[in-house]
Order: sequence, then C-alpha cells, then structure tokens
Amino acid sequence: MHELSIASSVVENVLEFVSVRQHINKVLAVKLAIGEFSHVEAEQLRFCYMAITRQTSIQDSTLEIETVEAVVRCEECSYRGRPKYWDDALSVGPIPTLQCPNCGGTVEVVEGNDCAIKSIRFTTEDDGLAIPAA
Amino acid sequence: MIQTIEASPDEIYDIELEHSLLEANSQLAKENRALLDRHGVTAIDVMGAIGSGKTTLIGQLVERLKDRFGVAVFNGDATTSSDADLIAEQNVPVVQIATVNGCHLDANLVGKALRKTALDKLRFIFVENIGNLICPAEFPLGSKARVVVVSVTEGPYMVRKHPHMFLGAQLVVINKIDLAAAMGVSVTELTQDVHKLKPDIRVIPTSCKTGDGLDEVTATLLAV
Repeated sequence: MHELSIASSVVENVLEFVSVRQHINKVLAVKLAIGEFSHVEAEQLRFCYMAITRQTSIQDSTLEIETVEAVVRCEECSYRGRPKYWDDALSVGPIPTLQCPNCGGTVEVVEGNDCAIKSIRFTTEDDGLAIPAA
Repeated sequence: MIQTIEASPDEIYDIELEHSLLEANSQLAKENRALLDRHGVTAIDVMGAIGSGKTTLIGQLVERLKDRFGVAVFNGDATTSSDADLIAEQNVPVVQIATVNGCHLDANLVGKALRKTALDKLRFIFVENIGNLICPAEFPLGSKARVVVVSVTEGPYMVRKHPHMFLGAQLVVINKIDLAAAMGVSVTELTQDVHKLKPDIRVIPTSCKTGDGLDEVTATLLAV
C-alpha cells in the first residue's frame, strides 16, 4: 500500500497550495500524471485520497489520474520509442519491459516513471484578478 | 514550480504544477548515497517476499565477507526484531528499522540508520527491505545495487506477478534451488522470465542450505 503514502503526499501538497492562497474558494480536482513504468494502482490511490481528504477543506475534490506513456531508448541500436510489452504473462494487461523491441538488448526508460501532481483546478472567491503568479 | 495559469470562463482555474511526489524520497536517497560514497561504503538493498530467504542469504554473505571487510546490516521489519537478532549473533553491527505499519523502507528511515552507524569502519551495508514485492520498488534508498530474492517455494509465476520489482534491480537471486524438484518449479523458466523483463540482468541460482551459488553472489557484490 505505498499508494497511501503517495496519496498522503498529494493531500499534503494540495493543502499547502491552498493555505497560501486565500482567494481559493474550493478545490474541484487534482490531476496526477502517473507513468506506465511507475508502480501505482490508480483505484487504490483514489480510494486513499478520498479517505484522507475527508473532513479537510478539499474533501469534495476529485483525483484525476492521467497515464503517461512510456518511451525507452536503446544504446545498442539507437531505438527510441514505445517499450516492448510482455503480452502473455499472467497479468491483466500487458507489462512494459526493458527489452529492446528492435534488438533485444536492455533499454533505458526515457519517459514513464512519472508520479507527479500535474494540475490543481479550483474556483476563486472573486473574479480571479488577484491571482498570484506563485 | 508553476508554469502557466489558465482561466476558464466560469472562473475555474487550472494551475499546472510539475510536482513530483517521489522527489522527496529520491532526494534523500541521493543524500544517503553521497554519505556512503564519502565513506567508501557500498550499500546493497535486498528485497523479496516474506520467507524468500533474505535474512538467511544476508547471513551467509556476511559470513563470507566479515573477516575481510567491515560489514553492517540494517534489518527492516514491520514489527519484530527476529531477523536483526539472528544477524546480531554474527557479531556485526545491526540496526533494526521498525516500520510498524509501513510496507517498505524509505530513504528517510535508512538515513536515520546511517547516522547511527560508524561508517568509517565499513565496506558493506546490507539493507534488508520489508518482505513485500511491490512497494519497495518505488522507493530507492541510496544503495549501489538492488538485489531481488525469489525462491522456488513461491511458485513458478513470482517474476511475472511482480514485474516492477525486477526492472529496477541489478541482481536477481533465485533461492532454495535444492527444493526446485520437489516444488516442480523450473529455475530455468524463472530465469527466462527475469530476462524477458530485463535482458542484461544477472541471475544467480542459490541454495543457502547447500551453499550453491553463494560464492558467485559474493563475487558479484564485490564487483559492484
């Protein structure tokens, strides 16, 4: 359940974001970017988020999760692109691997390790003109 | 870091952030690594399921290394000190890291253990992670190599069931091979599964009972 510690970190960051911006009326949604190579289960993350935000100022906000497609690079053959997937493992979906789809060597992950807050959507008390840059 | 501010007509604002949630741990892991490097200490993170033989393997490796090098062991365990007690019998420094309800070690806990340890006298620290094949993958600790231990008693599908664990590892130990025939589990097929995920990773079949493969693991770690 590392989803719990990740969800705690999301909530902590969002509450901090809100606490220094007095003009924020209500947080509507928090969007996360989760890479294909990152080991986070979206449904558990949503559940943890809901549980932790209960009785906080952001309790009705929703957690949106956007999957970031993996990109790998092979030093051997200079391949760059989508990873090779292991289709017939027992998994519910294909597993991205570090095997080069072109030469069979070992690739490096260029994109797809993400686990980040991408954006926060909220309403403001006024017309929003007083929104600070940071 | 805030990049753009965008207003939508109904006064809903979307602020884009690029705030990595694992950054805090990664940063602490880098600090652990820098501290270890300054003292010339190699930390080895040993991960694997409960009962895969992590503690026994570490014990065997400590036995092979402790007369030549300073060796310490950090035992991560949710509740008990049984693993730490076992290693302490070998008269090497042991730090028990109790995570209580935590499912993995993190760089902060390992950092605390490092600050309790006299690093100058050491060449190796074995960090035994919590028995869990999912969560530790996401939390680097600052070690120079991550070792995954799977044993044949866990069945034939351990690798494909927990692929993420292997992607970030540098060495895989397939343990309890003396029981492979009795279990009807093929060490070759487990090895092939690992190589489907990461073709260049070293896989060493071992038995802590017969001693098979343990010299090879020791030699591999000495070359890390």
